[in-house]
Amino acid sequence: MAVSMHSIIVVPPDCEGPGSHLRIGPGERLAFGRTTPGNDLVIAHDGVSRVAGEITAHRAFWILSNHSAHQTYVVENPEGAGEHVKVAPGRQDAPIPFEFSRVVLPAAGDLLSFDVWAPCHGFRARAAGPGAPGAATAPAFALDRTKRYFAVLAALCEPRLRRAPHAPLPTVDEVVERLRPSWPAASRSAVSWNIDYLAVKLRLRPGPDTPVPGQRLNGKKESLVSLALRFDLVREEDLLLLTAPVPSKAVS
Amino acid sequence: MTGSTHGQPYAVPVPKGYRVGRWEVREPLASGAFATVYAARNTLPGAELPPSAALKFLPTGTRTPRQLHHLRELAEREVELLKRLRAPRLIRMHEALTVEDPDHPELDGATVLVLERAEGSLDILLDQAPAPASGPALLAQICEGLNQLHHAGWVHGDLKPGNVLLMKDGSVRLADFNTAAELEGTHAYSPVFATPDYTPPELLWPEVSERGTRIRPTADIWAYGVLAHVVLTGTYPLPGSTTEARADAAMRYARGAEELRLSPRLPAVWQQIIADCLSPTHQQRAAHDTVTLLRRVEEAAGVTGSARLPRLRPRRWRRPALVTAVAAALLAGAVTVTYAIMRDDGPSYGYHRCPFRSVCFFSEQNGNGDMCAWEGDDPDWLSGRETCMWTADRPVRSIFYNGDESTGLGGVAYFRGRDYTPVGEDITRPNSRMRTGCTSQHAQGNLAGTYAPLSHRLIEHCGDSGDRTPSTEPEKSQDPSP
Repeated sequence: MAVSMHSIIVVPPDCEGPGSHLRIGPGERLAFGRTTPGNDLVIAHDGVSRVAGEITAHRAFWILSNHSAHQTYVVENPEGAGEHVKVAPGRQDAPIPFEFSRVVLPAAGDLLSFDVWAPCHGFRARAAGPGAPGAATAPAFALDRTKRYFAVLAALCEPRLRRAPHAPLPTVDEVVERLRPSWPAASRSAVSWNIDYLAVKLRLRPGPDTPVPGQRLNGKKESLVSLALRFDLVREEDLLLLTAPVPSKAVS
Repeated sequence: MTGSTHGQPYAVPVPKGYRVGRWEVREPLASGAFATVYAARNTLPGAELPPSAALKFLPTGTRTPRQLHHLRELAEREVELLKRLRAPRLIRMHEALTVEDPDHPELDGATVLVLERAEGSLDILLDQAPAPASGPALLAQICEGLNQLHHAGWVHGDLKPGNVLLMKDGSVRLADFNTAAELEGTHAYSPVFATPDYTPPELLWPEVSERGTRIRPTADIWAYGVLAHVVLTGTYPLPGSTTEARADAAMRYARGAEELRLSPRLPAVWQQIIADCLSPTHQQRAAHDTVTLLRRVEEAAGVTGSARLPRLRPRRWRRPALVTAVAAALLAGAVTVTYAIMRDDGPSYGYHRCPFRSVCFFSEQNGNGDMCAWEGDDPDWLSGRETCMWTADRPVRSIFYNGDESTGLGGVAYFRGRDYTPVGEDITRPNSRMRTGCTSQHAQGNLAGTYAPLSHRLIEHCGDSGDRTPSTEPEKSQDPSP
């Protein structure tokens, strides 16, 4: 069994796929900056400090230190309708509360960015009361029902929840159409991105590699839907989400 | 089963006085993540079933067909394990029923496990009296239960105080096998449920497949280490005031970024045992299986024990479920009950179940029915560390001494009395040799089926003269071969 104990995923700019994601676990640090030695993530731009900052995984969230002398970094929540956190120059260990973050570094008139995901954010199990969660048996998955990925998962599960257990899965285009009323900016790439993210978040064991990207995506969709239905991650009542507007404004 | 009853998503309300089969529901006992447990009274008491039991209702009904798929799977898992596995430290299931009651749609289709009635669970005891003086003795029995489970090829997957039941006589039973899984090779697939404070670091954020999470017996070893620390000191072994903080500490510890610092209140003799259970990786924990662990735990607890273990390994292959439908329409109006699993539908497949180096007694002829197995002597079958409880009211009908020649113990002698003492006919019968019977190594065969021994011991050989067959002594029936 591959033991993967990371809680934070850093997606470099121009990332070519999960292979180039940087993963860190609780207590681990990742430095970023202009030069190769000393930095785990290199942002090659003259406007970026040599040693620009540091990300530390802390439980299921992360903290950001701004090592630059003059630049304020902005951490945006791309699904948060403009929600953001400003991290002033020299600020150490600023906690970042978002599941998805875009770290924006101003650099001589350019805005450079990279993404950080915190897929282990916890949510109390459906209908469970407060209490001592550590002692309670709980599903190992925690999905945020207000996130886009949940709407995408619900749309993927919809035919099997409403009709036959072996109904064919919707295509990405069909999912885009289905979500359009509640998410006007939905696009093929945004939906595919969310499918990829779900596979990462649910720690789906990668299936055998197939060279054809379409087949790979299809296999991923199949696995996600069977997992979601088997463990009741999506239920019939969740399909209401597909018609109600998603609370946050569309940014993708 | 936990003591908490508030805010449980799957609580099953059952009215007092409700009838399920022969059982009348009394007060609720506990409500857990997936089920509610009620006390119940046997309305048709007889020799077979006790006057009271605990009824565990799992909401597997048909009212919301697509929504509670995983509950059905969890219920099936528990029924499957309890049906196939009988061991002294595992809760015993008397029968499993399915409610058929269209007038109560919230109950219709519910799975009901009729279980041994316990007095309470360990978490309640720990709430009332943290670090109880009985802790070491309880831990020895819990380890024994875990050993019985692993020995039979299962992983519990959710060992914690709420799943350890305490019986009236103070003994311990492991319960709640919803997440238990049978090993397939070195792994088992467990549904993706966990109790974070008892989950080993490698499973805190596990990879999953459509079948669930892959778990190994070392996950139970870790949980045992946490449980032992909690029982003995009243605190978790990893630092932190919240579950998240402790999970974080577990990750750092597993990565080597932090040392394990066990409570100084922990008695010295337990320090190393718990540290071994809490070895950071599966590979390191794999060196400490429940057999070696049990020996060390019993020593630490000062419990006199032996290495022997009744071998209650279930059959390795499946057969179609034995389903007998019994309409019990007379009970409580329109309620009918499907008897899915009958209580004595235990493993029943012959002598091959008897492990090497063991002597095995069976409740049916030809090595069928219930089996009790020992690696050594037992001075009292009905009490002590090892018991063979079905012999309290049923005779033994066949025997197999699957011994090891190198021990030089060529026979097993058995007695109607405790402590290898002859009783009644053992004394009066001619040529009795003051024992009930004796069976030689490698011999198997049917017995008269009129008695059950109370003790047995391994001896050099059954007889020194040719006055009888070498295999099984006088009470053997005419047909000694299977």
